[in-house]
Amino acid sequence: MYGFYFDQTLCNGCKACQIACKDKHDNPIGVNWRRVVEYTGGSWQVDGETARPNVFSYYTSMACNHCEDPICVTVCPTTAMTKREDGTVYVDQSKCVGCRYCEWACPYSAPQFNAQTGHMSKCDLCYDYRQTGQDPACVDACPARALDWGPIEELRAKYGDQNAFEPLPDPSITRPNLVIKPHRDAQPFGHGTGFIANRQEI
Amino acid sequence: MNVAELPMILFTVIAQMCVGAFLVLGVVQTAGSLRFSAKAIDQVADPALLAIGPAMIFGLAVSMFHMHDVTHTFNVIRHVGSSWLSREILFGTGFAALGFLFAVVQLLKWGHPRLRQGLAVLTALVGLGLVYSMSMVYYSLVTVPAWHSWFVPLQFFATAIILGSLAIGTALVVTTLVHARQVARGLSAPDADSGRKVSLRERFTTHADPAVRDEVEALLAVSVRGIVITAFVAAAVLLVAIPLYLGGLTAVGGVALQSVEVYAGGLFVARLGLLALGAGLLAVFTYFIAAKPRENLGRLVVVLTTSFVLVFVAEVLGRALFYESMFRVGV
Repeated sequence: MYGFYFDQTLCNGCKACQIACKDKHDNPIGVNWRRVVEYTGGSWQVDGETARPNVFSYYTSMACNHCEDPICVTVCPTTAMTKREDGTVYVDQSKCVGCRYCEWACPYSAPQFNAQTGHMSKCDLCYDYRQTGQDPACVDACPARALDWGPIEELRAKYGDQNAFEPLPDPSITRPNLVIKPHRDAQPFGHGTGFIANRQEI
Repeated sequence: MNVAELPMILFTVIAQMCVGAFLVLGVVQTAGSLRFSAKAIDQVADPALLAIGPAMIFGLAVSMFHMHDVTHTFNVIRHVGSSWLSREILFGTGFAALGFLFAVVQLLKWGHPRLRQGLAVLTALVGLGLVYSMSMVYYSLVTVPAWHSWFVPLQFFATAIILGSLAIGTALVVTTLVHARQVARGLSAPDADSGRKVSLRERFTTHADPAVRDEVEALLAVSVRGIVITAFVAAAVLLVAIPLYLGGLTAVGGVALQSVEVYAGGLFVARLGLLALGAGLLAVFTYFIAAKPRENLGRLVVVLTTSFVLVFVAEVLGRALFYESMFRVGV
């Protein structure tokens, strides 16, 4: 079972991962298998006559988490959404009917509609690169080395097993193969006080 | 209004109306057979059956616009063991096929009546399966709080009952009006016992026999009254359920609050108003004038048609808001 690791403490939101992915897979405008989400919030601390801002902002780079319980695979009517032997989830282009039901279901926005093919498309953890011993494009592109990938057991042994942070969904829904090293201001799932500041970019 | 989802809006509303209409027609026929002759029942009920088929085929055809690669269409039933969408499509095509078969054997009076009845029961059960699986397509998305709710099956079944009843009510009075005009023009069906072969067209012309006509009138009064009571009760349940549903969503919080906001504008008010007017006020009026269907036939046609059209628009608006309220958890 392969998965991703992401270090929120290193990411500065440059989106090199997103562009490397788009370039590698030659995806059209609007199709972004990896996206960088900016989560922002804050409050005022009033101390006598002085009001001090107390703000935070952190980034989460998100692609497909190749979940243990992928809701996209469960709901797909055609069986085009397929889990490989290695646990990664991909779209069988010979079966997909382009109904976009998986797009409604996935809480990570991983399956995306490609209007050029009329089919769904998504991150396959760079299957072809992996066959030749290379890393996925996003992992190698990150200048801060905030991304890593590998067998999820190894990632968990190396980096821990946390992944329940805002603005990500409750991990119990799909059990994502994802490990996150939280930013110092990261808010645990269900206790978020901020908002996604770059909706139009993701 | 959510134009992008128009195919789904029309498909769900029309398919639910067809299932409801089939069920209501079944009740009219079954309950009617206790008190009335087969001749009277067939005369009132058979023509309505003809309207369901084209509506269902139209609904299924529109739903095809939701696919972007029709060459892969037959793949959509592959995942029936897991996907409610596959199940919905199986039940949908099953209902249309069985309904078509039943309409053919019923209108041509092929086979034993018991056999036809069995086929009707099977079709009705598949229809119920269709409405249920349709609601589960949305309910099973645990990532969309506005859809993962008890309200979705309730709303879909309510639409089926309200629109189905009013559609059949309208069809019954319109058919009777057409018959009355045919009688006025001197057209009448030959007596079935005369041994002469009866053409399909003649099957739909009325019986000049005054006894049958009185029976048809009594059957019409009972059916229309039952139909408007059913629509009234189902609409009342829906109108009580909507605030409970929105209250529940507010309690869930998070993205569910964005869904609640959708149910605040003028379209929502129009949806509630049209439902209350069509299935409430006009239904009450219909109930009273249905006591004397022969004298009030013209009025019944106008009022029931208006009521049906208003409620159809109300349900389409309601379904548009339902798709508009799609807000998913996560990123």
